[in-house]
Amino acid sequence: MIRKYVDVICLNDKGGNIKPLYLIWEDERRIPIRKIKEICPRASLKVGGSGLRYTCVFDPNRIRHLYYDRGKWYVEMNDHVV
Amino acid sequence: MKKTILHCDLNCFFASAEMLYHPEYRNVPMAVAGDPEKRHGIILAKNVPAKQRGVRTAETIAAARKKCPELVVLRPDYESYEYFSQKVRSLYYEYTDRVEPFGTDECWLDISGSLSYFGSWENIVSSLLKRVKEEIGLTLSIGVSFNKIYAKLGSDLAPEDSYCRIDSLDDIRRLPASKLLFVGDHAGTVLESHGILTIGDLAAYPRDYLRQILGKQGDTLYEYANGIGHDEVSVFGAQDSPSKSVSCCHTAVRDLRNEDDVRIVLTMLCDSVAARLCQQGLYFRTIHLFVRDRKLKVRTMQVTLKENSDLAKDICSNALSLFRKHCDFSIPYRSIGVAVSSLSFGKDPFQTSLFGESGYSLKQKKEEDALRTIRRRFGEKAVFSLRALEDSGLSGIGSGVNGR
Repeated sequence: MIRKYVDVICLNDKGGNIKPLYLIWEDERRIPIRKIKEICPRASLKVGGSGLRYTCVFDPNRIRHLYYDRGKWYVEMNDHVV
Repeated sequence: MKKTILHCDLNCFFASAEMLYHPEYRNVPMAVAGDPEKRHGIILAKNVPAKQRGVRTAETIAAARKKCPELVVLRPDYESYEYFSQKVRSLYYEYTDRVEPFGTDECWLDISGSLSYFGSWENIVSSLLKRVKEEIGLTLSIGVSFNKIYAKLGSDLAPEDSYCRIDSLDDIRRLPASKLLFVGDHAGTVLESHGILTIGDLAAYPRDYLRQILGKQGDTLYEYANGIGHDEVSVFGAQDSPSKSVSCCHTAVRDLRNEDDVRIVLTMLCDSVAARLCQQGLYFRTIHLFVRDRKLKVRTMQVTLKENSDLAKDICSNALSLFRKHCDFSIPYRSIGVAVSSLSFGKDPFQTSLFGESGYSLKQKKEEDALRTIRRRFGEKAVFSLRALEDSGLSGIGSGVNGR
């Protein structure tokens, strides 16, 4: 597993909260985040790093963790996928 | 009623923070060390595989590599360590407002007032261990006791990601005296020469006897060993207690071989000390000079002035006199430090000389204030003494001068 930093389009609401809306993959595809199930502070023991962990639901019903760590977003990925 | 105090110590903090972002170093010997080119090349922290290979904190990189040639050495990232330190501290504040930091990676927590809310100290300790590991990715060792000294000893004894409770002197009686906080090499040797080997021995000796052999520190160690006092943990947001001394120390980029070298470094150190005194509105009376030669032998000396001062010039001239009086250059010097103590607030009255032979110069004060104003507005390297130009590497102004 590796830590893969990604671009994310977010909504910064009036309350100062950050809600990720789209994840931009390396082929420029915009992948919509359908729902955020949970936000909690967590360390990623698989790939290293720690920050806010967003449990996101992508179409079709696939769940991935998106981490927000000191202004940067990353996902956990299998090495062979990269 | 006895208090419940925790001492929380982040395990191999610098190394753990590095491993958090570089999991590939978890199973190989790795250490965080200073920059050898700046002669700061000592091991600051190491991970468990490095520890198992005999790498020790505070030894040189070369000595560590002799024991473990494949040791991975990383440069410290202090910004990142400070970030994690703050993050862990803010987690502590969820359990109590009485959190007293002791360095970047250690804190005392007084949880006496939170016990009824959380149920028991066990609940707080297990919750802290779990949350720091899961939310931040670091591990803690926690010491639990009724005062700060025993709690600190407890965290030293606790395994990684676990806790150790010390209820009374009986729990630690047989431990070596050197395990106690502030028993260093010197105090340890003195105690040993008097047959005081364990904490139990230290606690059993009369206070007067310990004072006789160790001076003021004897009193402190007697209290530490017997678990007397030291149970006040600072409250969050409370004003810091007033400074007892202000100091500044520097390891030079090369050895100091003559008085000019010493003067260049001293000027820089004294300016820094005087600026910090001025910030806090403090005056000093005693000047301490500390030198470490290239064989790492340390000497300290001090002088007390007849009247208070806050001038960099006074610190510098007296430190230099001390140096001339007590030191020679048979062995070149590696680092040098200056401290001032016997501090009082500027607004406090102090005794001046009746016959006007006061050494305190208002003209000098104005000059130093002006220099500090320039530095505050335009940066530390905006103005410096000509002496600093004689060796810009030694004075640390090199890049700034060329850039201007």
